[in-house]
Amino acid sequence: MELADKAVGFLLSAISLSIFSYYTFWVIILPFVEKDHFVHGYFLPQEYAILIPVFAGVVLLSFLCVFVGCVMIKSNKKKKSA
Amino acid sequence: MKHILKIMALLVAVAGIWISLLETSVVPRSYTWLLPVYLVVSLGCYGLLMVGVGLMLFPTCPQEASLLQKVALVIMFISDQFCAQIPAFSG
Repeated sequence: MELADKAVGFLLSAISLSIFSYYTFWVIILPFVEKDHFVHGYFLPQEYAILIPVFAGVVLLSFLCVFVGCVMIKSNKKKKSA
Repeated sequence: MKHILKIMALLVAVAGIWISLLETSVVPRSYTWLLPVYLVVSLGCYGLLMVGVGLMLFPTCPQEASLLQKVALVIMFISDQFCAQIPAFSG
């Protein structure tokens, strides 16, 4: 039981650290590297550095709104039937 | 109310720093435009990291668990004995 918890926690921290380091490298270090360096092949074009977080934020917000709306509709239905 | 004011003051301070950075051009302009998005992403990563670390360090107390189980057994035993002695419950 504790091993599963520890594994999930370790996975979460690893994911967060990798996302943070990738994003930091992408946004801060990459503009200083010359255009011909091979490392540019591992990173998407810089516009995606803004598009992807904004898109993820929009998806999260819309999911939250849909969830809140569903809960409100359900509670309204219960009030009407009860 | 105090918490909301604190958070709003923090947001205003960050916005002020960002605008001053934009105006004085200490850092290259493209960096300053990317700063808010970068801060939001790093905040999300930090939250995820705290959740993961908390999960890893969550204390399960195996000795207390076994002790509690023994206590529960003793309580069940005593209540059975008690119920058996009262004629209303046993009869």
